[in-house]
Amino acid sequence: MILFLRRLSRRPLTMLGLALVGGHLAVAALAPWITPYDPLRLLEAPLEPPTATFWLGTDELGRDFFSRLLLGGQISIVAAACAGLIAAFGGGLLGLATAFYRGAFDDAVSRIVEMKLSIPAILLVSLFVTGFGQSLGVLILVMGLIYMMGVIRTSRALGMTLMEQGYVKAAKLRGETATAIILREMLPNIADLLTVEFALRTSSALLLVSALSFLGLGISPPTPDWGLMIQSGLQSIRSEPWLILAPALCVSTLVIGINFATEGVADLLGLEAARGATGQ
Amino acid sequence: MLIAIARRLALSLVTLFMLAVFVFVATEIMPGDALDVSLSADEIAMIPPERLAQMKRDLGLDRPAHERLGAFLGGVVQLDFGRTLMSKTPVTTIVGYPYRNSLILAAAVLLVAIPFALAIGIAAAVWRGRPIDNIVSTVAVIGYSIPEFVIGTVLVMLFAVTWPIFPATITASTRDPALTLLAASPLAVATVVIGSVAYLARLVRTGMIEALASDFVERLRLTGIPEWRIVFRHALPAAIIPSLTAMALYAAALVSGIVVVELVFAYPGLGQELVRAVTRREVHVVQAIALGSAAIVVALNLLADLAILALDPRTRRA
Repeated sequence: MILFLRRLSRRPLTMLGLALVGGHLAVAALAPWITPYDPLRLLEAPLEPPTATFWLGTDELGRDFFSRLLLGGQISIVAAACAGLIAAFGGGLLGLATAFYRGAFDDAVSRIVEMKLSIPAILLVSLFVTGFGQSLGVLILVMGLIYMMGVIRTSRALGMTLMEQGYVKAAKLRGETATAIILREMLPNIADLLTVEFALRTSSALLLVSALSFLGLGISPPTPDWGLMIQSGLQSIRSEPWLILAPALCVSTLVIGINFATEGVADLLGLEAARGATGQ
Repeated sequence: MLIAIARRLALSLVTLFMLAVFVFVATEIMPGDALDVSLSADEIAMIPPERLAQMKRDLGLDRPAHERLGAFLGGVVQLDFGRTLMSKTPVTTIVGYPYRNSLILAAAVLLVAIPFALAIGIAAAVWRGRPIDNIVSTVAVIGYSIPEFVIGTVLVMLFAVTWPIFPATITASTRDPALTLLAASPLAVATVVIGSVAYLARLVRTGMIEALASDFVERLRLTGIPEWRIVFRHALPAAIIPSLTAMALYAAALVSGIVVVELVFAYPGLGQELVRAVTRREVHVVQAIALGSAAIVVALNLLADLAILALDPRTRRA
């Protein structure tokens, strides 16, 4: 573990990524206590330039923009992380199950995965938003299902190699149930993969949520949200460009942070795994 | 070879068929029927019951689900997605031109992005570990981490507001010829190209590194063939194959990106039509757009599969 941390500290980009993610998470968690003003109250004339009292000025309705910016990540981060969790866990279990049972079950799941991957995520969500209306629960569930497809693929591939391992064969010969083998013998061995998948899917989900909010199909006003803020900032792109640039910077640094961090950690985990296999 | 091509074609058709069934089932599990989705509860309460029953009969909503599925699939085969509930316009008329326009945009993006991605990916792989590779790898992660609508908006700020070289929004109309549309939308194309190059260049780099490290390249080096010839003539085809396999994910991301970017620039394509349809809750239009764009993804996958067949003789047997 210490060795792992020391290696991590030698990768500046990974550290930068971790710092960005940590910072964003801290702000999002602490936002209710550190926002200077109520993000929903109309305080001043609309579109005031930045001043000492309103650090980033006011938005198109006269709300404090800085307070809204601090809160703007909360909901999308929570929604994306929930979707990431659903995708990683559900996908991991389904992937292992397909590797365990093979046969018709495997074929059916693989077909569905392939098909789902051909519908662009935004359209799938739109289809469900049309039917169920804009609800955060439906959004999380649909995103979780969409990103589950990719996880099923990777964990199925890893599960296939696990099926050849001695301890899985031994568990089978001991007559343990399928559930026990999948949960106790196989799942712990794909924990690394699922952690990385969770981070990757969360970053994709963040991009999707913000794009949907930008289109007006995701998080609905008056909730402060970066995608929504960028969308409404377009009206004053010539006079108040910071109303777009600030939330744009926030959402971009968050996703860049996740991707830098994930790439570094995945790389190191891969190295560790390879060393463990050959280093004896 | 012919059998292999036929197999891939048949698989694509099966996927399309299953997609159509899926879209139908997805609409079916939603609460209420097409009428409830399109109208609010107040509107339904205001319509007299016999008129409501008549409307449901017109839409075929009184028939059992499997009959409606049959009718839906039959319609899809003839490219008939029904009519909108309110204006009674055929869905195909609404979606037709926007669909064509989105295809034009996608084709332009691919034409520009693929050469760039190849050049950058190959350069990064050949000079692996050198400064150029580090820069490419880092910039690529940043490139695909920034949402498309942010890239688009920033491009508008730079090249339409600060330096007014290009128009901020597209003035061309839905039925303009392809070249007029493209001439009016350089920033829209550039936005999607940036994300695409970031994504594709990484795939090419990974494939190229693997190919350059393989035994057959080592053997070619020993025979004294110049390095550039090895890279372009021998390693490149092998390097592209894994990228082509990843086409499915890229194609879906491309279509998603195009949908969003069209809204940033007011490009008259599927993206605009989609948001209009979702806010008006016109299920049939959303169905048609979802299926239509999935068809683009399936078609791009098919093209990728055929390209693999052409590049990799081993896959021709089967």
